[in-house]
Amino acid sequence: MSAAKTPKSVLGEATQIRLASELARMGARLQVLESETTLSRERLLRLYKEINGESPPKGMLPFSTDWFLTWQPNIHSSLFLGSYKHLAGHCKLPRAEALVRAYRLYLEQTKAFHLEDKLSITRAWILVRYVDSGMLGTTPCCECGGHFVTHRDDLNDGFVCGLCNVPSRAGKTRAKAEMA
Amino acid sequence: MKFENLLSEVREANLSYLMLARQMIVEDKAEATFRLGIDTDLADMIASLSSGQLLKIASSNMLMCRFRFDDRVVWDLITSHSQERETGMSSVHAAILLGSRSLETVQ
Repeated sequence: MSAAKTPKSVLGEATQIRLASELARMGARLQVLESETTLSRERLLRLYKEINGESPPKGMLPFSTDWFLTWQPNIHSSLFLGSYKHLAGHCKLPRAEALVRAYRLYLEQTKAFHLEDKLSITRAWILVRYVDSGMLGTTPCCECGGHFVTHRDDLNDGFVCGLCNVPSRAGKTRAKAEMA
Repeated sequence: MKFENLLSEVREANLSYLMLARQMIVEDKAEATFRLGIDTDLADMIASLSSGQLLKIASSNMLMCRFRFDDRVVWDLITSHSQERETGMSSVHAAILLGSRSLETVQ
């Protein structure tokens, strides 16, 4: 019915498909595609299968804000959010475009620093939503001045980031121990 | 280095910096402002420079680009040779700091 009221723009649809396929190629879950584009679920499902050669994983998305505050994820999230805020805030790009581009910059940086990309595109999208809804935000570290992801309603006076004050067990993962 | 050589090196650096900046901005303004650490107004100004203006700016005896690691913390991070627990962590730290900085603006 709504299609009859507003004639569908072919160009607009092409943009939507380009965006959806870019997100799918980055490994975004179907929920992200559904939320960021106006394409139907069926078409997105087909697009996802065409790009990734398999059905999208089912089940709920991770929903905890705490993940973004644990040591390593916090560093990765803060790195991503820095470029996202620049693109969405200063350059005023629309959310989906800023998300894709900031994520590309994030991948570029982790590759340059020889780090595993801990933040998936889906997590990056969730982070952006939490920031937009005011659950998470950034606080400048009082030692280095860098902006890091924190809970908005925490008391962040005298906040010191996880890189200035590295916790004793930080980075000692099982994977690292097996590699050694 | 002889004085004349020094001047021509400065000019060459200016020219390649300005040309690279302009090219980056024309190709993708949003990403360019992030990489260059400048705001969109300054980016627009650089992009609108004519080749003649660009040459004129480049032929100065001063360098037209400036060090971005002008504070102690960033400097220590990018020059640190110490084996951190996580390799690359100091580079990430420096990248977060550079991303948190205020941008170069035109007044």
